[in-house]
Amino acid sequence: MTEKSIEDINERIEDGSVRVVTADRMSEIVSELGAEEAAKEVDVVTTGTFGPMCSSGVFLNFGHADPPIKMQRVLLNDVEAYAGIAAVDAYLGAAQLSEDKELNYGGGYVIEDLVAGKPIEMKATGYVTDCYPRKDLETTITLEDLNQAIMVNPRNAYQRYAAAANSTDRTLYTYMGTLLPNYRNVNYSGAGALSPLYNDPDFETIGVGTRIFLCGARGYVVGRGTQHDPANRFGTLMVTGDLKAMDPGFLRGATFYGYGVTLFVGIGIPIPILNERMAKKTAIRDADIVTEVIDYGVSRRERPVLKKVTYEELKSGMIELEGKEVPTSPLSSFFMANKVAAELKREIEHDKFFLSPQVERLPTDTVAKPMKQPELPLVKDVMIRDVKTIGDSASIAEAAKLIMESQSTHIPVLSSDGKLAGMITAWDISTAVAKRHEELAEIMTKKVITASLDEPLELVIRKMERSNISALPVIDDARRVIGMVSSDEISKLIGKRKKWQWKLRI
Amino acid sequence: MKLLLKYPLPLDEMPYTAEVILETGAKINIDLATRGELIVDVPGDDVEHVAELFREKGVEVRRLMKLIAWDEKRCIHCGACISVCPTKVFTFDPSWNINLEEEKCIRCEICVKACPLSALACIE
Ligand code: SF4
Ligand code: SF4
Repeated sequence: MTEKSIEDINERIEDGSVRVVTADRMSEIVSELGAEEAAKEVDVVTTGTFGPMCSSGVFLNFGHADPPIKMQRVLLNDVEAYAGIAAVDAYLGAAQLSEDKELNYGGGYVIEDLVAGKPIEMKATGYVTDCYPRKDLETTITLEDLNQAIMVNPRNAYQRYAAAANSTDRTLYTYMGTLLPNYRNVNYSGAGALSPLYNDPDFETIGVGTRIFLCGARGYVVGRGTQHDPANRFGTLMVTGDLKAMDPGFLRGATFYGYGVTLFVGIGIPIPILNERMAKKTAIRDADIVTEVIDYGVSRRERPVLKKVTYEELKSGMIELEGKEVPTSPLSSFFMANKVAAELKREIEHDKFFLSPQVERLPTDTVAKPMKQPELPLVKDVMIRDVKTIGDSASIAEAAKLIMESQSTHIPVLSSDGKLAGMITAWDISTAVAKRHEELAEIMTKKVITASLDEPLELVIRKMERSNISALPVIDDARRVIGMVSSDEISKLIGKRKKWQWKLRI
Repeated sequence: MKLLLKYPLPLDEMPYTAEVILETGAKINIDLATRGELIVDVPGDDVEHVAELFREKGVEVRRLMKLIAWDEKRCIHCGACISVCPTKVFTFDPSWNINLEEEKCIRCEICVKACPLSALACIE
């Protein structure tokens, strides 16, 4: 049995005899030599990941102005940084959007520009006190001018990510990238077998105080990340590092179209091979890592799982989904993840990057809970149940009569088996008359947007806004019409129930 | 309008472009010149005539509507462009570098939105 300590390994780093391999090579080594021999031969396995990590940001200290100001609101290149911490400190979050360029610029880009040494326009306003007499200031700063710029990322290095597909018939722009309609592509994230937390899934070596590679600088694990959910293999880390020591090649501001701004962060974590057990764990292969393909076409927190896949399948570029071959895209860069792991290996071998023992182990049994929310209003709470319908063999004149008598502007059209076949509106009737149509089936809308009983009202309102319609039929699983929701009814009911108003932002 | 000119091989160093400028009096700008290939910008009214003259000299002429332009320095090889492209313009090489086969591009511009680094653009 091999048992090494971190000190043993650090002595080897000191005298230059340390043996380091990148995580992608470890499975080969273990299958060739066996775990026992591999643990003797290898001292450190380096991991790496380079992916979009929205939950990132920097604490900045600007130094005091003259006359002094207590900053309440700070803009850096028109991106707001949170200034509710003392007088001249601020926290700039990667996902914060620019006030004027919106999705095209934001916190992630400011961080990249700072590291690249570019000048940043700064504007600040404050309130006047006896010790802070100044109201506002404008200046230009660079990274050098700051006292401190400390990256603190509350949630990085997710153990695994779900893959994303889209069942709807329109393209979705998400934090999982562009998802083409009808399952035409699958996007996934994470570095697979090179991923830091997959090589130490039980947090035996990675813990509070672990020295890591963070965007080219030496950083540290602060502790568990937010939403840390190791019980479900969704562990996360909170990490920190000195922005001033970072390399612009290992971090990048980016925009997911239609979603927002983020920061690509390069993280590498060294795993000390203390024993046979760690050799075995770091021998993980892409084929061993399973994740789920999730349907992002469903706008709920619990999205349906379409299938389970391995990273090996995802990385092959094609997976099978609903009987079709579908192309896959990673969103994090394997090329850069390899570069991170290789650079960390080089620093351990040649640059005296010493390993640090955990000060404390991370929790291994916590779970991430959903948000505590008051109950959402659902379609069934506001729908009209007494709906007038018409058969698809009726004439336009009959439909016109029904619209007039029932005072409703939208009438569902049913086929002979009682299922929803289309919708007819007062507007359809007037254009039909102008164009001299006679058959109802000719003029009705056949591609009907529908709602279901248990759908949250908020989603239905979004459907209405997107398609520019004011009412839609509620149907059951057999496409029978069981009600209608209309924007008029929604606003009437919302008027009565005050507590819903803020939630629906109407 | 931009034209892609492919000179006949072997290159015989004939000053075709200069000749065409003299013969037509058209204001032709050279946008890009590599060995054997040229991208030129020609005023709309002269395009027909200019293209004709080049063809007569044995030069292959292609009209460029839009080109997919890739900013290699900005690209981080994330691969977000791969799965959205209908004609498989993008592929990974064995070391996970992105490769482009531009000639397959049908200029649908889907990848332009999909690239998180704004490293892709359709240029006129
Ligand atoms: S999506 Fe953009 S950054 Fe990513 S590989 Fe394609 S071109 Fe490069
Ligand atoms: S424009 Fe369309 S066809 Fe051309 S590379 Fe982009 S996605 Fe592919």
